[in-house]
Amino acid sequence: MLKNYFKIAFRNLWRHKGFSILNIGGLAVGMAAAFLIMLYVGFELSYDTMFPKKERIYMLVSDIKTPSDSYQIPVIDWSVLEKITPRFPEIETSTRIMDLSLSIQKGTENFQEKRSLAADSTFFQIFGIKLLKGNPNEALRAPLSLVLSETGARKYFGSENPIGKRLKIMNGEYTAQVTGVMEDLPHNTQIEADYLLSISTYTQIIDPSLDTSWANYEPRGYVLLAENTNTENLVSKINTYLDEVDGDKMKAANLFVKQDLELITDVYLHSTRIGNGSPNIGKVYIFSLIAVFILLIAGINFINLTTARSVERAKEVGIRKVVGAQKKQLMLQFVGESLIVTLLAFFLGIAIATLALPYFNALAGQTVASGIFINWSYIALFFGIALAMGLAAGTYPALVLSSFRPVSVLKGKFSTTRSGAFLRKGLVVGQFSLSIVLIIGTLVMYNQMHFMQNQDLGFVKDRLLILDTDNDPKQQLLSDHLKTNPNIISIGKASTVPGGGGNKSSALSLMENSQGQDQTLTADRYIIDENYLDQLDIKLLAGRNFSRELASDSTQAIIVNEKVVDLLGYANAEEAIGASFDQWGRNGQIIGVVENFHAESLKREIGPLSFVFDPKQSRLLTLKVAATDLSRTLNFVEDSWKQFLPNTRFEYYFLDEFFDRQYRSEQRFNNLFLSFAVLAIFISCLGLLGLASYSTKQRRREIGIRKIVGASVPGIVNLLSKEFIKLVGIAFLIAVPVAWFGMHKWLQDFAYRIELSWWIFALAGLLAIGIAMLTVSFQAIKAAIANPVKAIRTE
Amino acid sequence: MIKITDLEKYYATEEVRTIALNKLSFQVQEGEFVAVMGPSGCGKSTLLNILGLLDDPDGGSFIFNGIEVAGFNERKRADLRKHNIGFVFQSFNLIDELTVFENVELPLIYTGVKPAERKKRVDEVLEKMQIMHRRKHFPQQLSGGQQQRVAVARAVVNNPKLILADEPTGNLDSSNGNEVMDLLTELNEAGTTIIMVTHSEHDAKYSHRIIRMLDGQKVTENVLTEYKSKTLEV
Repeated sequence: MLKNYFKIAFRNLWRHKGFSILNIGGLAVGMAAAFLIMLYVGFELSYDTMFPKKERIYMLVSDIKTPSDSYQIPVIDWSVLEKITPRFPEIETSTRIMDLSLSIQKGTENFQEKRSLAADSTFFQIFGIKLLKGNPNEALRAPLSLVLSETGARKYFGSENPIGKRLKIMNGEYTAQVTGVMEDLPHNTQIEADYLLSISTYTQIIDPSLDTSWANYEPRGYVLLAENTNTENLVSKINTYLDEVDGDKMKAANLFVKQDLELITDVYLHSTRIGNGSPNIGKVYIFSLIAVFILLIAGINFINLTTARSVERAKEVGIRKVVGAQKKQLMLQFVGESLIVTLLAFFLGIAIATLALPYFNALAGQTVASGIFINWSYIALFFGIALAMGLAAGTYPALVLSSFRPVSVLKGKFSTTRSGAFLRKGLVVGQFSLSIVLIIGTLVMYNQMHFMQNQDLGFVKDRLLILDTDNDPKQQLLSDHLKTNPNIISIGKASTVPGGGGNKSSALSLMENSQGQDQTLTADRYIIDENYLDQLDIKLLAGRNFSRELASDSTQAIIVNEKVVDLLGYANAEEAIGASFDQWGRNGQIIGVVENFHAESLKREIGPLSFVFDPKQSRLLTLKVAATDLSRTLNFVEDSWKQFLPNTRFEYYFLDEFFDRQYRSEQRFNNLFLSFAVLAIFISCLGLLGLASYSTKQRRREIGIRKIVGASVPGIVNLLSKEFIKLVGIAFLIAVPVAWFGMHKWLQDFAYRIELSWWIFALAGLLAIGIAMLTVSFQAIKAAIANPVKAIRTE
Repeated sequence: MIKITDLEKYYATEEVRTIALNKLSFQVQEGEFVAVMGPSGCGKSTLLNILGLLDDPDGGSFIFNGIEVAGFNERKRADLRKHNIGFVFQSFNLIDELTVFENVELPLIYTGVKPAERKKRVDEVLEKMQIMHRRKHFPQQLSGGQQQRVAVARAVVNNPKLILADEPTGNLDSSNGNEVMDLLTELNEAGTTIIMVTHSEHDAKYSHRIIRMLDGQKVTENVLTEYKSKTLEV
């Protein structure tokens, strides 16, 4: 019996090749897409889950309150762990971690290693990362100790044993000794690194005051808690204790700190403190939803196409019933067939996913998975989904088919029931609702992106070439030489640029407010020279720019933005001029106020910002270049660099590109979203195509009669298309409120955002109807131009 | 073998109720060959569907082999049908995706016959119908006469007691038609009861008895050959 079913199933698939391709292909593409999304979601969900003690590792974070502001930051004060770790037995041990971009010399060449961290010696104990060579408890203890990953070791030492070898770091300023080689760390973790420097390098050599400083928020803090620790309890005990120890300092500085703990596996997905903007779980939800959408759409297709095709199977059903088949046996046969189809689609889907994976990784901007088969449980899960879909999607057609009445079927006159048609239409409406939601989503995302990239930022980022000299002492010689080129219009110096290049820092500052009191606020701190404001065309609202002629400017002057003026309560910029300030050992007066500008992504509100003056030394050289002969200019810059800074790697970027890089993750998200939206729409159209062909086939006689009594071809096409357009119209009405709600929510993540204007919805509707029209009209035209006599005779 | 009494069947559409069978009564003896004639719409096919247990009557009694089957549910009817009744249709009704052999095999599959036994019986009947050489062909590759022979083969492969034929020669030319009628006569002579619906006076002459219907009722009955039931003889 089974053999007979298989035979029938395969012969049927083969005989109706076009239909089978539509059916299996649509399902396979849908499954492949959903599978890739599942890999992506799995990748995101696996963040930081590789640590053996992950249930007990927490990130210590800080909530800071000043009279004017509050900050929730992922970093801690340099000294806080040393205060609390020995005090509370619940904390087994703890480590500070600092992100570095470490320059390491190999021979004469200097490499800027961005995958670098500084950490305490307890690092390996907490994270359980395997040290292949070296002593895990000692490797990061002494200052200037360096642990390399296997990749790092290979890069600097090839196959030699690196232990005990020395490497010049920080532009040759220090020499570090290699004390360990660790396994390579995966990409999906916050502590991704190839180079680990002992953090004692900073606390004992570079700045010995760090361990005893207060309110110096720079490193991240991780604690390993004892089993069954009540974290809420511990947090409150920590805060009570810190109030005792540091309470006076807090009152004096008007800066109040509360610590909190976040479970390491929750940080990436749920924390609002890291990265810019929303927690990553949002992405996970959105993509999971898209995967479900795509599977639904593909499943609906499958149901629709199979039931539509069932008309042609009606005779077979009749015959089988006549020769003795029972309803149950027929159900089994058709569910079985649907299982065969879903399984074929499953295998084809896996093949498609395998082929598409490299493109998917590129689209996602990260190696989501190195292969489809890296995790068999995913394959198994998906196999289960395929089976479930086969059952679910096969049951309805099987029910319809097996309940055909043999008497009427064999006479060739049978009509599908009204409820069947209603269900099919309902499914098409559902499918198109989902597709329209995705279209609207895509349009909104692209609009927001376009808006962010074309918004007036309040400064000019064009034609600014930024050179990262990493504080090379010969920077001035390079700068002087560059001035000789007429295509370099001006040269400035700065610690950082909008978008966060160089050394971005936030400084706790005291400033005199409108009431004459000292007010604490945290302002971004830019060290610049006198050319910087002109180069970026940042407008001065009141006061003056820095001047080289005034020696006091480099020690006693500060320029702030409007936001600071607002926070201090001044009615206008002029009033703030002359107010006193104290920032990181510099004190004097506010000498200028600049207009607010977007120093960061438009996802964020403009925050308080300050400029201080240091004409001698800054990390970045900012070059305003002429638009002409850009490549010649760039060659000149590179040649000069090699001449003056031969030991430092030539690092440069254009500010406009660099600034837009902040939107890279949004860009990737949008690209992924767009790809899957297009796919969903494509699969919907496959279904519509199948359904249209079914519907026109059913109405062949009607069309024939209409033509004989005088209907025109356009009239027929219109008649056939109208029905489907109506369905898409209903889908549109359902999709609009859903999409509005979803996108409204999505936009909340952006401090500066577009309005959800009506035309986005209208455009999405038109697109959907247009696509549906194209799909349907092909079938409709075919039916309309067919010979009517033939159509009537077939009845 | 068959006794129907006051059999009724209605077809209701949204507005009209049509009477297809109106208190029809007659009997068919085991081994008899009966032809049912009448104009289109007189209820012939409805009758055949009820006799074939494909459809349920709305009223009256239908005794098949001594059992009242009116009111049987679908499952019971299917069970009775697959063991006792074979069908031959005007439009052959073969499954296009199955070969000749597989089409004939189908009823045996549903009655649960073992594969080896199936092969033997299908081969036997194909031999008898003289289409053995076509066993691996698909229906579209055969002529109309050949297709109908396959259909007859399928109808008899289970050795049914009753064969119901619905205009078996309707789609055939006269020589092919005669061949099929000869086949049915042979089967009847071998003991199978046959009830055949037909428009053709020529075909009807092959039977023992012709029942003529109009508007769901029996109008006349002519006996062509006096048939003595074998069971009565014994």
